[in-house]
Amino acid sequence: MRYKTEKVDTLIKGRSLWADGWRRLRKRKFAMLCFVIVLAYFALAAAVYLDEFLKSRFAAQGYTGLRMFNWSQTVGPSYQPPMEKYAWTPDNAQAPQAGWALLGTDFLGQSTWRKMVYGAKTSMTVAICASIISLMIGVPLGALAGYFRGKVDDLVVWLYTTLDTIPYILLVMAFAVVLRNKTIFGWEIRGITAVYLAIGLTSWVSICRLIRGEVLKRKESEYVLAARAIGCSNSRIIFRHLLPNMFHIVIINLSLQFMAFIHAEVILSFLGLGESDRPSWGSMIDAARTELARNVWWEMAAATAAIFIISLALNIFGDALRDCLDPKLRTD
Amino acid sequence: MVEVSNKLVEVKDLKTWFPIRTGLLRRTVGHVKAVDGVSFSMEAGKTLGLVGESGCGKTTVGRTLIRLIPHTAGTFLFEGRDVFAIPPKQMKPFRRQVQMMFQDPFGSLNPRMTVEDIIGEPLQVHRIVSARQRRDRVADMMEKVGLSSQHLNRYPHEFSGGQRQRIGIARALILEPKFLICDEPVSALDVSIQSQIINLLQDLQKQMNLTYLFIAHDLAVVEHISDFVAVMYLGRIVEYADRDSIYAHPLHPYTQALLSAIPVPVPARQTHRIVLLGEVPSPANPPSGCPFHPRCPLAEGRCAQQVQTLESKDTPGHLAACWKTEESRRRYLQRSKKD
Repeated sequence: MRYKTEKVDTLIKGRSLWADGWRRLRKRKFAMLCFVIVLAYFALAAAVYLDEFLKSRFAAQGYTGLRMFNWSQTVGPSYQPPMEKYAWTPDNAQAPQAGWALLGTDFLGQSTWRKMVYGAKTSMTVAICASIISLMIGVPLGALAGYFRGKVDDLVVWLYTTLDTIPYILLVMAFAVVLRNKTIFGWEIRGITAVYLAIGLTSWVSICRLIRGEVLKRKESEYVLAARAIGCSNSRIIFRHLLPNMFHIVIINLSLQFMAFIHAEVILSFLGLGESDRPSWGSMIDAARTELARNVWWEMAAATAAIFIISLALNIFGDALRDCLDPKLRTD
Repeated sequence: MVEVSNKLVEVKDLKTWFPIRTGLLRRTVGHVKAVDGVSFSMEAGKTLGLVGESGCGKTTVGRTLIRLIPHTAGTFLFEGRDVFAIPPKQMKPFRRQVQMMFQDPFGSLNPRMTVEDIIGEPLQVHRIVSARQRRDRVADMMEKVGLSSQHLNRYPHEFSGGQRQRIGIARALILEPKFLICDEPVSALDVSIQSQIINLLQDLQKQMNLTYLFIAHDLAVVEHISDFVAVMYLGRIVEYADRDSIYAHPLHPYTQALLSAIPVPVPARQTHRIVLLGEVPSPANPPSGCPFHPRCPLAEGRCAQQVQTLESKDTPGHLAACWKTEESRRRYLQRSKKD
């Protein structure tokens, strides 16, 4: 569409509400810092995936992966405090080796720092997959219910109010227990797959309710009436006129939900319903529970700090997003 | 002999009732009779002004005619075809002929679409021209309504209220319809901008031989643009005539009261304002007989029992739904003399 014709040769560039929102967001330095932190977590998770892929692909060429991502390696004695030098003799070595661990080691002598880094991958994977699932269920159901009303609406509202009456964590736990190590359509659900399925299948309620309410409100607006008067089909009205106008709400809601998904993953792992073979922040906290009595505080500290920083960053960024993207709150 | 109609638009006994549902079972306990028996007809190239205070059902008439709201009863013949009988899937040819423009210049344009997409959407939906031609058509239309075609890629929030209303006109007219329903097109604009938009509408009417149903509450604007005027009260037309005779000698007491409320920009002249008492009754529970009788200064016993049909009294073509047109005309003349 964006070409020039004989008649129209000079065009003045317009600025969409998205560009407008982004411009306002960029002015907020602290929010942008939080955005960078969130992106750093994403990048870390992506790097772990890339490293694993390269390891499997180039194993023959002798690529063994980055040391930082090799969490299972024993790097020192058990319960080595952070930043302290130690001399240590590994099982297969003759002479003692000197070294230090940035965030100390756990019972098995594995690096807490590396486990924390790997935990970001676990958390981000779960949160992203759960977001996608909850969006794919919540947005279409909400839009259909709000737009067509009637029986569809009754069914959707019944479904989400029923789900909503069950306490969230109990529901997620129940789903996780049921889905664990099951085979559905020849697809084996293992490890974090069960976790993000459980979270995604239970947390579409809030986005669905939000979308339904917005559609109800906006389908009587004049631009939707105008679209109907033109002769637009229902699907065109939903996809071209209604959903683009509530996409910012989805994004704002998602930035806050994302945090809840990370927490849910931590809780499930803590309870032993999540990832069991690989590190996650939840299982680190679970392990640290017994270690705390021996004054081993660093594993707990590392996991909670990782959770705290991303939660805070997401919260502040989500708040700034709402201020900048909502056209009703426009001040400049 | 079958009477051949040369009217473009014929509306007969149009009713739009909204059900009132209450209780757990959502049972219908009554109806809001927003439009309750409206009939009028229009010739091609003319403008009918539909006036009345807010809540009288004039917007509902427009929205029902273009089938945004389902009608309850009545017929709407457009070029002799019964529009309400067309199945929803086959409405597209009708929608090319009849378009609508809206009141709110801020709410009637999708804020996430560029002007090009907004104005060009009807062409896209009706698959009239190719994408390349579409841009030219949109640019032409923008020039026609007084916008610069350089602004194709701009978004609605980058325009002023009057410019946005021009975008609304361009969107409605790009399909080259015959009949345009204007739902209070200028009431949200400044007075200086109002006259620009009205003049634009009049120019376009001449150029494109358009027929307007002009819905408004501003009588001065309606007087300027209309050929015929229909006055609505509580879902019914109470008076219908050509512009000159309705403004010169209104017959219905309600029309007289409305006209007396037009401010006259002559400081020395003190007009006699007819002040109506009370509120507009609820359309869910309209009064018996003539709907205007509880507020009418001339009401008598008969008015509370029976409705006078909309009919011509002594001037042909000047219809009023009132029992006491004689008396009301006499009183109006007396009052005018005093002024």
